[in-house]
Amino acid sequence: MTQQMRPSLDDPRVAIPADSTWYEPAPIPQTERQAEFLTLREGEMFVNMGPQHPSTHGVLRVIIKVNGEKVVDLDPVLGYLHRGVEKLCENADYHQAICYTDPLEYVSSLFCEAAPVAAFEKLMDVDVPRRAQYIRVLTMELNRIASHTLFQGWMALDLGGITPILWAFIERDEIVDMLAALTGQKLLYNYYRIGGVNGDLNHEFMSRLGTWMSRAAAQIDSNLALINENEIFVRRTRGLGVLDAKTALKMGVTGPNLRASGVPFDLRRDRPYLVYPELEFDVPTRDEGDSLARYLVRMDEIKQSIRIIDQVLHEMPDGPVMAKLPRLLRPRPGRAFGAVEGPRGVYGTYAISDGTDQPFRMRIHDPSFVHLQLVGPLTKGNLIADTMAVMASLDPVMGGVDK
Amino acid sequence: MAWNRLTPAGRVLAVLLPVLAIGGALTTVLLATFGGAIAATIGANLPIVRFLAASVITFLISVPVAFLLIYMEMKIIALMNLRIGPDRIGPAGAVMSVVHGLKVLMKEDYTPPSVDVPVFTLAPVVVYLASFMTLLVIPFAPELTSMGFELGLLYFFAIGGLSVVGLMMAGWSSFNKYSLLGGIRAAAQAISYEIPLTLSVVGIVILTGTLSLPKIVAAQDGSFLDWFIFRQPLAAIIFFIAITAEANRTPFDNAEADQEIVAGFATEYSGMRFGFFFFAEYVNVFIVSALFSAVFLGGSNPPIHIDLHPQILINLSALGIGLPLLAGIAPVLGTLLFAAPLWFASTRVKGWQALIGGFLIFGAVSTAAIGLWAFVMLPPVASLIWFLIKTFTLVFTFVWMRGTLPRARIDQLMGFAWKWLLPASLLNIFATAFAVLIAGR
Amino acid sequence: MDRRLAALLQEKFGERLLTPVRQRYDESEIRVALADATDTLRSLHDDPAFRFEMLIDLCGVDTGEEMQVVYHLSSSTSGDWLRVIVPGLDRTAPRIASATFLWPGAEWMEREAYDMFGIIFEGNRDLRRIYMPDDYRSFPLRKDFYLADDASRSPAAGVRNMERAGTPADATAATVLRKSPGV
Repeated sequence: MTQQMRPSLDDPRVAIPADSTWYEPAPIPQTERQAEFLTLREGEMFVNMGPQHPSTHGVLRVIIKVNGEKVVDLDPVLGYLHRGVEKLCENADYHQAICYTDPLEYVSSLFCEAAPVAAFEKLMDVDVPRRAQYIRVLTMELNRIASHTLFQGWMALDLGGITPILWAFIERDEIVDMLAALTGQKLLYNYYRIGGVNGDLNHEFMSRLGTWMSRAAAQIDSNLALINENEIFVRRTRGLGVLDAKTALKMGVTGPNLRASGVPFDLRRDRPYLVYPELEFDVPTRDEGDSLARYLVRMDEIKQSIRIIDQVLHEMPDGPVMAKLPRLLRPRPGRAFGAVEGPRGVYGTYAISDGTDQPFRMRIHDPSFVHLQLVGPLTKGNLIADTMAVMASLDPVMGGVDK
Repeated sequence: MAWNRLTPAGRVLAVLLPVLAIGGALTTVLLATFGGAIAATIGANLPIVRFLAASVITFLISVPVAFLLIYMEMKIIALMNLRIGPDRIGPAGAVMSVVHGLKVLMKEDYTPPSVDVPVFTLAPVVVYLASFMTLLVIPFAPELTSMGFELGLLYFFAIGGLSVVGLMMAGWSSFNKYSLLGGIRAAAQAISYEIPLTLSVVGIVILTGTLSLPKIVAAQDGSFLDWFIFRQPLAAIIFFIAITAEANRTPFDNAEADQEIVAGFATEYSGMRFGFFFFAEYVNVFIVSALFSAVFLGGSNPPIHIDLHPQILINLSALGIGLPLLAGIAPVLGTLLFAAPLWFASTRVKGWQALIGGFLIFGAVSTAAIGLWAFVMLPPVASLIWFLIKTFTLVFTFVWMRGTLPRARIDQLMGFAWKWLLPASLLNIFATAFAVLIAGR
Repeated sequence: MDRRLAALLQEKFGERLLTPVRQRYDESEIRVALADATDTLRSLHDDPAFRFEMLIDLCGVDTGEEMQVVYHLSSSTSGDWLRVIVPGLDRTAPRIASATFLWPGAEWMEREAYDMFGIIFEGNRDLRRIYMPDDYRSFPLRKDFYLADDASRSPAAGVRNMERAGTPADATAATVLRKSPGV
């Protein structure tokens, strides 16, 4: 008697026994690499770190092929947070398109606004007033500190330490409250406009900023002292996921991950935008390329950001914060690529305009998307626990990865 | 029937009161007719009865102890994280863990469809059993040890190892790769750390010549310099690390690393079954702290013997009829006495509030007074309190480590056990034996 | 305005460029034909005069009449940036050689371009959908995208106007929403 078969719920092309309550076979491989991934050798099994997981920085599904505890191969599955931002922007105004881009890398959302705004300003030949440029730099550096502090917290959390993230959130809270006093929002700021920023600095913001600046360095040092020298933390991250400079360049890695591998590429130095040519700051670089180096580079960047904020506060000129623009913006047909150095890497927007008041194509390049490809190669041969350590050190934000 | 019109509390009472009444009447009748024979049987089998009583009491106290530890952990880690922790339920949130316990009891008892049902059901039982059976040998005080027999230490390690079996049962039967990984990690870790654990106390066994825990505690009598932590420091360090690993505490909590494998071996457990694992872990923490304080910190011995020879013998029988009068009047007088200042302190304090406050203060003061009298006059109480102080200091240290340290990776953890702790404990044994040989010559 | 870079590009690739090198603000842009794309990228990557060893972005563009693939390259040593536009992919069956032999990191960016437009990158070892589910039938960022095919399997199919079944095959040339051939 032949067994009744039914199509599997995972993939309707696969037939499984009809009365089976649990047997769901492996999916049919569609590509060469997938076939390679799905072949199991002796002693290997798939462990699914599913979309709901305490440690995967958002909704990310990672299928790990393990041999006992050793990771043999890794396949991230994306798309759980895909919102179709690029398509939405095509049907929206230029101003509305900027609102759509905020939630991409929600942790550092001012950078997600700065890049399209820069691209649109290039398309429309808009001159941003000096004061607005300084304000943009100031708020972006504050956002960078907030993002790096949060990174420190959740890197420790992924390794098991539950205290640093709460201390990091105190830091981040202060910065976020500051920016809330300025923009009215705590996470998705919606502050930059084409031609400037939405509203000048106010007294509340400046007083909070002053209070914070007076003890920022000491507070960050005490936060770092929690975990930087911790033997367990260092032993788990040193030598883990070593990324050498050549591979990093070939994989399209940018930002602190690239700088931790020895390549001193920083958009603020190599292709300066806004007022960065006039500011003095170092670009921290390390040579080892392991997770500890990536962590330490970001911690050094916090200190450099404080330096930049200091200079900006001293040199900020007076003036308007918004250029005079018509309400309805119709740029000339053309293409522009606006990029900023975000806390995760080069965040770029390629905007194509066809002469109407809606962008024809708005392509968003997100660094986390590129970096997530590295999790597989860097974790091969290590243990499952190291997957978390490597992913945390690459600092992906799934909003940007999935767009 | 009137049953439907009763409230839930009424229903409980409607069942309970008749049962109690009938049960009480039956018990009285039985005792009256067979009282003598029962007393004789108990007298003849006193050790067994004592053991039964001790086991029951131990079992009953393990749950409140677990509640207390859970609350301690939540509150202390919160304060280390610069947050507040539980503060609504009870004064400063003290009743929070009881509420958690009740919640866990009231959850649906769900068995996932493809598990190995007998193994799945028994795993929490085995883990909990292993934990609380080791409670029986802890020497709370010289008079308060449930089983003070000659092989106490060996029994402890043997039964403590049973929890590994329970974890493996949980991990395997759950039909879940996360659970499997968690169970295997737990088993590998426990096995690796059992060897340094048992070897590190061999030095103590050489020094005292006995495996019996009450005798080891007695060997540390005197001042705190006699405690084995000063005579066997390396063993103490190894033992401390090993019990952290045996109790699956941070930095060695891979078995339930919830950043990586959700809840490890306990992923498929919910409700009271998870409660068993949860409580077993905290009872385990209490037990290993108790063991450490018994073996290394002098157990129930006070740090310094202060011989006060107080004679606060209150001859209560001399009061005669005054005793019930005192028992009746003292609370009333005490309540009024302590309520007066509360009532006079502010006009917003109403009379009934002052009386309740006065009653509570009277209760606290009288408990403290009786406790102090007991501490000075009754040796078991003093010993117990010293023992608990030392145990809870160690529990605090465990909670502190959990709040501070990240987790060690499983291969680093096992490498540490086999490559560092094992040779260190062997070195300790040789050094101790050598020293005993030299000193004995 | 990087005259040096423009002159160098004109000199090396003169005959392959479809239009002269365009420069505006700090961007330089060249267009090469589909057949020359691989060679051009390889020269840009390997040639010591250029050294564009970083691929910043790879994306697809649907102009309504044709498809394009746009590469953004950067040099980590000299600070040059370049945009390479490869126009002329057929809208009905877009194919181009993969860039993963030069930049393995382009693998996912090409997967995304395939998922969103249907552009087949020959040589990409893992060309499957990255955002949409594996059995999705349309390519969302195309200008003639119908939303309906996914919801058509649900019990509510056809109840609401937007959820009626449709595939790009039903879309005629007239349903292309916006065309901008010159971009």
